[in-house]
Amino acid sequence: MVVESFPDFLKWLPDASLVFLLVLVIGAVLGTLAGYLIATFRHGPFEAFYVVAEVLAGAIPDFLKTSWRRVMAIARLSIKEAMRRRIVLATFAVFAFALLFGGWFLNTGAENADRLYLNFVLWGTQMLVLLMGILISSFSLPEDIKSRTIYTVVTKPVRATEIVLGRMVGFGILGTGLLVLMGLISFVFVWRGLSHTHQIVGDTQTTAALSPIDSATGLNAQGQRASDNALKSGETVFESGHNHSIELIEDIRDADSKPINMGNVLRQYDRNDGKIVYERVICNPAYGHTHEVTLVGEGEEKRIVLGPAAGYFRARVPIYAGSLIFYDGQGELKERGIDVGTEWRYRGYVDGGTYLTPGSLSRAVFDFNDLQPEMFDNPDRINLEMTLGVFRTFVGNIQKRVMASMRFESVPNNPELEDRIVSDTIVFETQEFEVQTLPISRKLRGERQNPNGTVVETGEFDLFDDFIKGNGKLRLILRCEDKNQYIGVSLADVYLRGKDDLFWANFLKGYIGIWIQMMIIIAMGVAFSTFLSSPITILMACVVILVGFSSDFIRGLLLPTAVGGGPIESFYRVITQKNMEAGVEAGMVTSLMQETDKLLLKSLEMLTNLAPDFSKLNFAEFLTHGYSIDTDRVLVALAMCLAFWCGLAVLGYFCLKTREIAK
Amino acid sequence: MSTTVPAGGTKATGVDKLVQTNPDYDPNIVVEAQNLSKVYRDFWGRQKVQALRSLDLEIRRGEVFGLLGPNGSGKSTTIKLLLGLLFPTSGRAVVLGKDATEVSKNERIGYLPEESYLYRFLTAEETLDFYGRLFDMPADIRRQRSAELIEKVGLTWAKRRQLREYSKGMVRRIGLAQALINDPDLILLDEPTSGLDPLGTREMKDMILDLKAQGKTILMCSHLLADVQDVCDRIAILYQGELKELGRVDSLLKVGDETQVRFKGVPESAHAEIRQLIEKHGGSVLALENPRTTLEELFLTIVRESQARPGHRGEGARSSG
Repeated sequence: MVVESFPDFLKWLPDASLVFLLVLVIGAVLGTLAGYLIATFRHGPFEAFYVVAEVLAGAIPDFLKTSWRRVMAIARLSIKEAMRRRIVLATFAVFAFALLFGGWFLNTGAENADRLYLNFVLWGTQMLVLLMGILISSFSLPEDIKSRTIYTVVTKPVRATEIVLGRMVGFGILGTGLLVLMGLISFVFVWRGLSHTHQIVGDTQTTAALSPIDSATGLNAQGQRASDNALKSGETVFESGHNHSIELIEDIRDADSKPINMGNVLRQYDRNDGKIVYERVICNPAYGHTHEVTLVGEGEEKRIVLGPAAGYFRARVPIYAGSLIFYDGQGELKERGIDVGTEWRYRGYVDGGTYLTPGSLSRAVFDFNDLQPEMFDNPDRINLEMTLGVFRTFVGNIQKRVMASMRFESVPNNPELEDRIVSDTIVFETQEFEVQTLPISRKLRGERQNPNGTVVETGEFDLFDDFIKGNGKLRLILRCEDKNQYIGVSLADVYLRGKDDLFWANFLKGYIGIWIQMMIIIAMGVAFSTFLSSPITILMACVVILVGFSSDFIRGLLLPTAVGGGPIESFYRVITQKNMEAGVEAGMVTSLMQETDKLLLKSLEMLTNLAPDFSKLNFAEFLTHGYSIDTDRVLVALAMCLAFWCGLAVLGYFCLKTREIAK
Repeated sequence: MSTTVPAGGTKATGVDKLVQTNPDYDPNIVVEAQNLSKVYRDFWGRQKVQALRSLDLEIRRGEVFGLLGPNGSGKSTTIKLLLGLLFPTSGRAVVLGKDATEVSKNERIGYLPEESYLYRFLTAEETLDFYGRLFDMPADIRRQRSAELIEKVGLTWAKRRQLREYSKGMVRRIGLAQALINDPDLILLDEPTSGLDPLGTREMKDMILDLKAQGKTILMCSHLLADVQDVCDRIAILYQGELKELGRVDSLLKVGDETQVRFKGVPESAHAEIRQLIEKHGGSVLALENPRTTLEELFLTIVRESQARPGHRGEGARSSG
């Protein structure tokens, strides 16, 4: 999954507030100018000045004296009106219809069936709710004006703020109600759709149904390779399009480490070396889930009972590194990894050297901060999860995996005085498009080096007590070990897996993302409909949504480093037939042109903030990929929603206030 | 509701409750139009029609003022300008001492639009409750006021029915009720009797007179001359956006060189004597006949009798048959 931003709400807030204020100021200046021009057209330049001043002066009391009783009265009316239009009912009907029959087409036997189910309900809910939001908000005010019912409202002491806010709040409440209902039904639909269990193949349903492993070949009765420590194996019947293999394994442990689940232990005995052997029946994972095994009964032949599917609904908490830096083949520090050509820029690459220049110093260095044992389910063995990119300069055997290595280092607060602990290199194989999990033991072999690099001690070091110590920092160094091959990483590609979050809480956060999008669209619909007709409002809302979805691309065009310069310089190049790369002759005109461009680009960049960046508001991908949605990310989205509501309420107010209601 | 105050009386009304910032405010002038003009323009700003030309008008507290004129004469435009639904092209409209575009003036105004533009999916009770909320009224006052008004306009039996099920006359009544929800000092009625049957028209006129008796100022516009004549103290006649006539109804309609005498209990034989007396004084007799009632009066008499004695033919019907 691609993650490019790692928001920290408290750090983000001051900068974002500044951008908000700047956009507000630019919007206010442009709005006043537009208002003055229109007033000049109607009343002449001198009177226009007074008209604009009067409108601006009237705005302050209108906002301050806004009555919530009136806002809520209009909100209640809007809810009744929208219900009467049956748009909400139609939306719910489509949703219910999709769920009733959608289940037929969702394959529970597919790899990652949970992703399929979640994608289906999230995408369906999002599209339906957004469509409903646009429709109810765009039609209401223009319809009210057209049918003149608004005459009896605006001739009461109702302020334009109350009309705009009332509509926004009313539709917001209605949409929230519908979304809550859809969310609950979706949750039950996904839960029940994937809920299943299996029986064991064989009449007895007991451990007697398991057949021994061929010790010579290591194959089971079905001719498949069994686990190394398996004694017997069997399989479940097909249910929901799949089955699992069942194995009786030999789990050898120290005397002080018992298995967490003792319900599946068939028998246990002491081995003569002081270790205990637990013979346990396990269900091997398949299609992204497994089942808990419980043995029922007494004696040698116990009945095998499989529990409900486990492992589907995860909310993994990735603990990302605070920073990622690269070193090139010569060991020079680089901000980005090696650029391997027209490849995706998301990842930077490290090379494994060549046969002519072996011993490349190229590496990617991840610095983790604030690590504590409490963050992990089992601090004795933490999981490092990776999705690495591989770039091959020769293909050879495409199936062959690329060798890579990693090592951990402590990060002393004062490297010139304090010793450093460096782990032994851990070599592993990797391949493109693969999510890898490497279990890292708490006890790592390595060496202690003094500040000038001399080894002072070798042996086993504790990850938390020795490496991380008091400052919570840990360094991970990743290298490519195959010559002529490259490994690509981004910050989000390598993370330590923390304690899982509650799935339902994550589900709720995913729906909060949809809710935020809906609320912004409702506010847009209401604000635009104060001065546009319904179809034009819908069109305009769609345009803003499209701009919002592609705001990253638009911002890319507005970077001062973009080839060919800003709008004026580009225009100059067009009329003088200069290509994009050619230099422009230095001089006062060029400087003036480029400085003006800078100002224009900055203003345009500010204006791109007028369209909500929907990629920041959509958390569905996190949910479907089983990642916990960071609370900071939700807070950022909520703050953005609030900012848009404020901005759009102000826009709606001025547009409604300055228009003639009657015709 | 029952205190009667003469026109132009000095009852302390809510007008005084409005915070006045206008130094020229005369509390006896409720509505003032100064050189008020309105030009309707198209999208490109080209003039489509001049709906109102330099209207100067003053409406005093406690009077019933009628705006009269044919369709398209600028009556509704004037009312919309006074309500702030339209912005004047030039001139100024002052209502209760405040500019017509100010929201706070609406606290003491009631408005019945030409067709009662109400939310058809609400019931009568819900409608009045909604408008009550718009006046920021507390719940108990809202409930009490709604019940009173529904009773007053005679819709208690249909108060829980949606307005979409109402007849035109019933919608008109609930429209009037919503205009009175805040016990306003100034009531603007746009074609109050349009679409009403004679009974409804009479009731509406009675209600207007009742409101006048309570000291309210009423501005109504209509093209039904009889209605205006029956209830208005003063009228303004508009034609093609221009004010053509303005004054008290009784003085405008007074025919100066004619005298009308009505008497009762004199035999027909005395008519010749009366003619002689008039001719002796140099006058000429234009008509000497039994007066006729109006069709409206006849209709109302029949309906009232039918209501009082179901199944009987009315007096009026017998006498005219």
